[in-house]
Amino acid sequence: MFSKQIPLLNSKFLVLFAIWASAFFCGCAPQEMQFRPNELHVASLSQDSTHPEITELAKSASERVDALFGKPDSPKWPSEIANVVDMSKVKRSAGPVGRDKFKVEYGLFRKHCVQCHGTTGDGQGPVSALLAPYPRDFRRGSFKFKSTPIGKKPTHVDLVRTLENGLPGTAMPAFGTLNRSAEFAEDVDALAHYVRYLSIRGEVERRLISAIIDLEDAAAQALAIASKVAENWSLADSQSVKSPTLVTVWTPEAQSAAIERGREVFLSELTACTKCHGKLADGKGTSQDFDEWTKDWTIRAGIDPSKKAEWKPMKRFGALKPVLDSPRNLTLGAFRGGEMRADIYLRIVLGIEGSPMPAIARKENDNPGITEEGIRDLVEYVFSLSNPLLSSAGTTNDKGGEHEQSN
Amino acid sequence: MSNPINSRSSLVYLAAMLVTLLTFPLIWLGGLVTTHDAGMAVPDWPGTFGYNLFLYPISAWLYGPFDLFVEHGHRQLAAVVGLFAIVLCVIAYRNETRHWVVKVCFLFLAAIIAQGVLGGVRVLLDARTIAMIHGCSGPLVFALGSFIAMATSKRWHLASPTVGSNRLGRVAIVLLTLSVSQLFVGAHLRHSLPAWLPAFFMSLVHTHLLMASLILIAVFYIAVLVRNSANSANRELRTPSNALLVIVAMQILLGFATWIANYATPWVELTPWLAKYTVQGKGFWESMIITGHQATGSLLIVCSLWLACRSYRRLPVGQSVASLSTELEPAVRKAFRPESVRVGVE
Repeated sequence: MFSKQIPLLNSKFLVLFAIWASAFFCGCAPQEMQFRPNELHVASLSQDSTHPEITELAKSASERVDALFGKPDSPKWPSEIANVVDMSKVKRSAGPVGRDKFKVEYGLFRKHCVQCHGTTGDGQGPVSALLAPYPRDFRRGSFKFKSTPIGKKPTHVDLVRTLENGLPGTAMPAFGTLNRSAEFAEDVDALAHYVRYLSIRGEVERRLISAIIDLEDAAAQALAIASKVAENWSLADSQSVKSPTLVTVWTPEAQSAAIERGREVFLSELTACTKCHGKLADGKGTSQDFDEWTKDWTIRAGIDPSKKAEWKPMKRFGALKPVLDSPRNLTLGAFRGGEMRADIYLRIVLGIEGSPMPAIARKENDNPGITEEGIRDLVEYVFSLSNPLLSSAGTTNDKGGEHEQSN
Repeated sequence: MSNPINSRSSLVYLAAMLVTLLTFPLIWLGGLVTTHDAGMAVPDWPGTFGYNLFLYPISAWLYGPFDLFVEHGHRQLAAVVGLFAIVLCVIAYRNETRHWVVKVCFLFLAAIIAQGVLGGVRVLLDARTIAMIHGCSGPLVFALGSFIAMATSKRWHLASPTVGSNRLGRVAIVLLTLSVSQLFVGAHLRHSLPAWLPAFFMSLVHTHLLMASLILIAVFYIAVLVRNSANSANRELRTPSNALLVIVAMQILLGFATWIANYATPWVELTPWLAKYTVQGKGFWESMIITGHQATGSLLIVCSLWLACRSYRRLPVGQSVASLSTELEPAVRKAFRPESVRVGVE
């Protein structure tokens, strides 16, 4: 007959369950996150991937930088240098994901960004190797889509813009939906501050590594380097370029003429657009190049990125397989820096930092180059490539010629 | 003729079905928690911001942040499933004549409680690794509940253990093993830790793709087996096989869609749409696709189990549950009366 004893709830079972549970949870408790030392930069500067001191040197530089900027769970800002980030927002973005007892959310970077960009902002998150293009390594302090010239830092608005709009055709999401909802209203702003923080921290680390390799007094240098990097960021707003008001409503004849003139500029040897984008602007040019992030640890370190035997030893320092930077197919209308005429204007005038896309040579005094009118015609041509019907009708789907940024 | 369903209690079956059907939305909600990284949206446990789980103000729950809505909802539904699991145990204890089924019901309750504790420990320790284990074991608990429903169904009582060679059953077990393993790999991908190296994540993705291919082959092989001469007379085997075909097709589509919703596609210039597609961070449809892929994975496990049960316990050749029930109608009617069940027990 059926026993009335409740099964599975006897003492033997409970003891076994307790032992299993203890063993199960052993080691599951989270450990404090650490920034990953920049071994790749040490290896590329030393030009010897077998150098025995690479790990030690990178660790030493990272520790010095940690002393200034704190750790992923507890960021800080040196009081001696210009305050170019809002530390309350940096602290909201840092640390593990969760809400406190007042329902304020923390760990925004780990929630939204870390899978691709990595804890250190080195572009070596777990998913990174499978993405095309690879996620941005913030530590060079270089950003592609911005309103400042090549070599200058992006403005806060530039970073917010990329975060809000994302980058079409890449894994970079648009967080605009977060920003439109009341509870997340400040998230994107906080993330932009954290990106700035990670970039400064990473660039200070890189420069410190160079100083250590050059046998300078690293301890004395760290604060001075941090001060210099922060100062560069503080100048970004004043270096921002604003797009002029561009014609958006044309008569068909005027637009056709502008497009034709722009096409000539595009095909001219002076601009050399066709070298990369091809004569049909479909991205099938003859020139092939790597981006600056790849050249950093390959060409500048004496490594040929097309030869696997040469770059493979760098993988253990976090290098990802070198991939050619493919020029944009302009006929698809997928412009990562923005699809309006004003965005295209800035990309042509300012170039795309870190990529082979240079800033256009402007005609100044006796120097050969493209005039302002020529640039505007080029913008119209590039814009028409993905809007052929609209441009031939003399209308536009551009929401406005003015650049949306309010720098 | 002996009466095979004389001792069956439909009450146990109904309770098992109810708790299983409640477990599936629980898995969806759990998936949404992972998709929105909402595991720590409520920092305390077992309460919610100091309130008892059931006394947390509804307005604060419904109109609060979305991650809080999802996490608190997941906890509440889990508690409801736990309560129904207790009811199932009581009903099974009182009405079920097979000792092993009662044991499985109590095992199910223990598993539900362990899942709850695991979820709580994940919050208290703020440990993503435990979240991953919690995510792996959730569908297994769902499968256990489904198994109870299968074992208490009318069909189970009317069927007999398969005699002789049973290749279909063995393949179904292989598929079940593959599906569970695939679930583990998928849970790793969903709960990847920031410190993981890209090469490790890449190997997980490749493993996930390889196992998906093996599952697809197994499901096609099963579709062939249920239609061959040895099994063609058992038309009831076709239902789980067809369901598996549909689920696998859905999973493959959802898998691709999940990758695109998360990371876009590497072949961006294939079409203007792909070139222009921008991933929406925590977008609604993106969340539904990603969570749907995970939830459909648990259906794959249950369906494999369903097929395994049907192939290891078969109805007489050419018979169906309906025809056998008609044949045994007087006995069935008697069996469904509670007093007859008690007589059967004692």
